[in-house]
Amino acid sequence: MELICLGLNHKTAPVEVRECFAVGNTKLGASSSELIAMTGVSESVVISTCNRTEFYLVGPDARVAFERLEAHLADTIEVHHIAKPHFYRMEKSAAVRHLCRVVSGLDSMMLGETEIFGQVKHAYQEALDAGSTATVLNKLFQRAFGVGKKVRTETTIQIGSTSVGNVAVDLAEKIFGHLKDSQVMILGAGEMSRITAQSLVSRGARSIFVSNRSYDRAVELANDMGGQAVRFDDWQSVLERVDIVISSTGSPHAIVHRADVEKARRARKFRPLFFIDIAVPRDIDPAVGEIEEVYLYDIDTLEQLAQEARSRRQQQIEDCERIIDAELAKMNLPGM
Amino acid sequence: MDRWFLILATLFAVIAGVWGMVSVHRGSRSPWTVSWMVAVLVCQVGFLSLRGQQRAACPLADFGEILAFLSWSLTLFYLLVGPAYRISLLGVFTAPVVMVFQAVALIPGILDSEPARMAGGNPWHETHAATSVLGYGALALAAVAGVMFLVLDRQLKEQHLKSGLFRNLPPVRELLVSLERLLWLGGALLTIGITAGFMMPHEGAPLGHLIAAVAVWTAYALLLTVKSVRGLTGRKLSLLTVALFILSLGVFAFI
Repeated sequence: MELICLGLNHKTAPVEVRECFAVGNTKLGASSSELIAMTGVSESVVISTCNRTEFYLVGPDARVAFERLEAHLADTIEVHHIAKPHFYRMEKSAAVRHLCRVVSGLDSMMLGETEIFGQVKHAYQEALDAGSTATVLNKLFQRAFGVGKKVRTETTIQIGSTSVGNVAVDLAEKIFGHLKDSQVMILGAGEMSRITAQSLVSRGARSIFVSNRSYDRAVELANDMGGQAVRFDDWQSVLERVDIVISSTGSPHAIVHRADVEKARRARKFRPLFFIDIAVPRDIDPAVGEIEEVYLYDIDTLEQLAQEARSRRQQQIEDCERIIDAELAKMNLPGM
Repeated sequence: MDRWFLILATLFAVIAGVWGMVSVHRGSRSPWTVSWMVAVLVCQVGFLSLRGQQRAACPLADFGEILAFLSWSLTLFYLLVGPAYRISLLGVFTAPVVMVFQAVALIPGILDSEPARMAGGNPWHETHAATSVLGYGALALAAVAGVMFLVLDRQLKEQHLKSGLFRNLPPVRELLVSLERLLWLGGALLTIGITAGFMMPHEGAPLGHLIAAVAVWTAYALLLTVKSVRGLTGRKLSLLTVALFILSLGVFAFI
């Protein structure tokens, strides 16, 4: 029995090609079953995420398995002939190594991300439930999951946020713990504010206040996020209630001054206050950060922290590859 | 034999502290800190029960016993508060304090080598001594949480966010909430202790330590009142909690 892998991902194919081959989460099992119905294919698993679609097949002859799979794709997907150059083809140990790298997050767009582990696990479970896996793929995927876990526990590949939004959310959690008890104010209804606020809401932040020079725009964003619009002249009064302020206005000068925060301190009973300034030029006077209970982070600091995390992850690649090599050497899988 | 229990407790506290710090330096949290601290508690209980048998009373008759009792109380509160509120690293910060208190208690001459049996113990006296020291344990743990806050606050302010210590410290708000709860708990126990102190017989006994204890109680009461009514920044609350605890140890000089 021989193992093959045919796939495309964010490195080899643009989104307009990838989307043609995407398989819905609920259809992964059925898709795997279709493949084992072909002669020359005895086992299959189909993985499909927003960044990749991969087919892992086992058959008596790798060349035949590739031919059958490509013929199947040509029959079912119109643009297959255009997409053909975007596919990568791997056999035996190369396919095993590739799966281990995928599961470990080394082949992801965001290096070291952990979501892919769950996505591959789900794809395998669907195939298993559909009865399209047997000895070779069962062993292969179980081992690959073991390697993925080992890579994550023995290296720091997944540590640190790699985007400005996530760095801000991590810092908010370091200050407030669970965000479900935290209230957020957005100054300026720009895209960056929206993205950062959405990250906070996705981690539990409950009340969102949106203040913008254009009140209609504030109402629009507030409605989108299930929050409350505040007139721009009134944001100081809301400062007494909130824990986190995200500022991203297009103002050419600072709009939050030390005096504004000083005024609200007493009413806030000196509770911690986290300012995220993602505007350029900066919206928040740096003197605000000198207030004892205020933590102020601007876009440069957040970007620097994200960049450092990305660099740290890059430095970990060698260690991860070493672990994968060592684990591959121990594997004695059929079909390799 | 009693000393060996205290020596063992001190060694376990050293292990808990050092092991925890090494793990934090490596960027992870030791899962064994709680276990080592349980071992510390068991040995402290061994020490205190032997001393209690020898004294035929609550073992709070000399400075060494007070320090050992205080360490037991601190360890007990850590084990009650730390894992329950998931305050990571509280054990790593508590272990060195326990170690220092017990090491001082083990200095020759601090513990009575032959503890005398205490005749005619008074229940008010025992309540006063035991609840006061228990209260000090809670206040000591509040001071430990205060130190943790000050470390985290400095790292957040100066944007030094790469260390394993930063990653493993609990969030600011959780630290402040725990610190305040411990202050209330310590204050309540101290109130009972001082009340019992005034109820116990004082024939010819000096009242110096009770007056000092009332001064300490007043200071803590003032701190909690200001915090509740006006509010205080985390930094001021932590600094005052640490400073007050260090100053409050002066009460023992009057015993």
